[in-house]
Amino acid sequence: MDASVLLALRDPAGVPFYPIVFQILYVLTWALHAAFVLLSLGSMGLSLYGSAKGSSDKHWSILTPHLIQTGKISVSILIVLGVAPLLFTQVIYDPNWYVTNTLSGMWVFIFIYTLIVGYSMYYWYYYANKAQKSGSTLIGFLSFGILVFAGILMHNFAVTSIMPNAWMNMYAPNGVVDTSGWTFNVDVIRLAFMVSLSIPVVGIFLQNYSRFLSTRKDFEASFISYTAKLGTNLAVMGLLISAVLFVLWMLQIDYLFHPVSLATIVGVLVLLVMAKMNSNSYYTTLVLVVVALLISTMREVIRFDIMGKLGYSIYDYPVNLEIPTIVMFLGTFLIMGFVGVAYLLTMAWKVGKNEGVFDGSKDVLVSRLGKSTLYIMITWMAIYFVWGIGILFNNIL
Amino acid sequence: MDIIGQFPLFYFPEFGSAWMMGVTGTIHILASHTSVGAAMLFAFLAHKAYTENRNDYYPYMKKYGMFLLIFSYVIGSITGPGIWYTATAASPRGISALIHNFVWVWATEWVFFVYEVIGVFVLVYFMNKIDKKTHLQLTYTFAIASVGTLALIIGIISFMMWPGTQAYYTTGSASDAFFGVNTFPHMFLRLGFMIMLSGVIGLVISSAMRKENEALSNELSRKMGYVSILGGFITLFFFIWYMGTLPDNAHAVFAFSKDEIIQNRIILTLVFMAYFALAIIKPKFINPILASAMIGVILISGLWSGEKLRESMRKPYVAGQYIYSNQIISRDVSGKNIKSELPIIAEKGLLHVNPFVPQRLKTLTNENRLEAGELLAKMACSNCHSLEKTGVFRPLKDRLVGMDKEGVKAILYAIGDGAFSYMPTLKLPENEYDAMAEYFASLKY
Repeated sequence: MDASVLLALRDPAGVPFYPIVFQILYVLTWALHAAFVLLSLGSMGLSLYGSAKGSSDKHWSILTPHLIQTGKISVSILIVLGVAPLLFTQVIYDPNWYVTNTLSGMWVFIFIYTLIVGYSMYYWYYYANKAQKSGSTLIGFLSFGILVFAGILMHNFAVTSIMPNAWMNMYAPNGVVDTSGWTFNVDVIRLAFMVSLSIPVVGIFLQNYSRFLSTRKDFEASFISYTAKLGTNLAVMGLLISAVLFVLWMLQIDYLFHPVSLATIVGVLVLLVMAKMNSNSYYTTLVLVVVALLISTMREVIRFDIMGKLGYSIYDYPVNLEIPTIVMFLGTFLIMGFVGVAYLLTMAWKVGKNEGVFDGSKDVLVSRLGKSTLYIMITWMAIYFVWGIGILFNNIL
Repeated sequence: MDIIGQFPLFYFPEFGSAWMMGVTGTIHILASHTSVGAAMLFAFLAHKAYTENRNDYYPYMKKYGMFLLIFSYVIGSITGPGIWYTATAASPRGISALIHNFVWVWATEWVFFVYEVIGVFVLVYFMNKIDKKTHLQLTYTFAIASVGTLALIIGIISFMMWPGTQAYYTTGSASDAFFGVNTFPHMFLRLGFMIMLSGVIGLVISSAMRKENEALSNELSRKMGYVSILGGFITLFFFIWYMGTLPDNAHAVFAFSKDEIIQNRIILTLVFMAYFALAIIKPKFINPILASAMIGVILISGLWSGEKLRESMRKPYVAGQYIYSNQIISRDVSGKNIKSELPIIAEKGLLHVNPFVPQRLKTLTNENRLEAGELLAKMACSNCHSLEKTGVFRPLKDRLVGMDKEGVKAILYAIGDGAFSYMPTLKLPENEYDAMAEYFASLKY
């Protein structure tokens, strides 16, 4: 694809801030999104194993509903976290985003409804499992299959978006225009690597789960050690599989000796040692976050290079600085976002550690965070209306 | 190189691609409006439960919350990005214009979403695991966060209709684009609708509780009736105000079916007033089947038709009154250094300036005229009209019935000269008019 075409496909409004900021936010938020994609995939998959075992196994009868619940919440969170990278990518990589979506328009539509059906069925699986219904495992498998298909569709969009040289041929093979929106591309090794990561992610999650519950008296020690061991086995086995697939992927695209690729391999090896030892899984999780960021960076490096070779650099995107709204975003993100999410997560942590009703009003930290969140939100609303009324008066009076 | 930033075209046969956005959008509005309305209702009920020591309200809130999790946070949270995705496929430059103007507004909304999604799980699953005071505080923050998402998206969807003032075109500022004259009326119109929806959904749940506790079921059904009436009144009041803030082209489209729309709205208002009155006076007559059916009535008669109308009233634009539905920039926006693409299209032609038109169709010949005419028709018309003889969505078969090539051409000329305020003023070179007209005539509508 010609550079002049790629440059023409940029939005004439320009970008409202420096492109590198969008690029960093993209890498950061994609890693967060991917973490929950992998956790949902891993916990759903493992719950199916538990569900198939039935309620006869005393450990799995406790673990399976918890895995289903984890999968259920993770899907919601992955959806909401997925909005951010979508937002940031289309600000700086318009050609890739819009061409892909138009070429795969039918798949885009199918993706949305696949996700709705798959996720709704997952709730069905949750309730069927809770009620110990006999067909719950089958419902779970169907739901899992549908959600994995949605994931493959998303992979198709990602792969098509980095094939700019093939776009014209996809749209008009032999010069005949095809407006049907059925373009579909898969990169098997890349997909296999991404999917394989769900095994170590759920393994490390189980190590955390075991560690978290170890302070609760209502969980038996044998259950705690069983889940820890299961987590370690899954993490070690999964990391080995992922490492092999990562190397194959890097060899396929000739990026094995790229610094980010090497750093990812080192990160995976460190993770392997830490997961095997399982001395403190919370630290292992921190390293996992770093590895997720490295993988996200690797994806971005690949895309950046492909586009760069064709003469498209996001850093050359014309900037029309937009100060008031970025101040609003940063203020909301850094103040309300951090305080608010800290409030919810602190409460969730303390409720999880508590065996009866948790009295948040007597907990200084939860109480303070709750009040702060409320006051910050009220202030936010007040600023919003003052700002809006001010702009409107200025423009109409 | 004389090219403009047009993308490949996606066209769904018989319907066009815009209907995909419409279907997804309508479902999303039902789910998302319910979610914000329910968040406000939760705060109200939690406040009453706490101050009046009404512990029996908590199971109702729990049931409502579980319903909300599936209805709003499965369907709503998927169809939200779903509108975005389908809009990208159907109207890439329209959504791109919104993104490039409002990316930070959307990013801010995302922060509220994150709080909302984690918050709803905490709110529902911890209802019996935390003390009432903490729960009350949580419902307050959840309600404000939900209203916050409305406060942020409303300026963007209002801008889709028009910026509301001329300031944006000279400054290019997102603030000027966001806070137009219709932003606040639009916001309160939707807020009213959300309150009403929370009551309508609440009636499904309160009526389903009758077997467990009839007195509570009736009390809550009455409350939902009052809540819905309040919401309905706010909706009507701000709808009238909102209509007064719309641009001339919107009123021109509205005028086509004004009488029919007003008549339908009066009937809908009367039906729902009767329904809410029934919930207040005779709550035992409300049952889950009737209550669910009324949601269906709102979805089809209220939302689908309302959103279709809003979309039609934007015509010929898709965003900010500077991008046409057919993805062409139609005016300068000096504040953003945006230039109208109409002059270059009039001079060089759509086939020439679109980078995704294959080389063999760039130059019109006798051999490719029909094929190029079809492509031109898709590029220029298919965002709003289905082209086939069996087309369903705003079909051209109804508009060009029985016309020969010269008749079609006369209409295309008139559109190019701006004869219809709701159609894009798209002037093309003579040979492109000719190819398009030949294609339409060949279909023998």
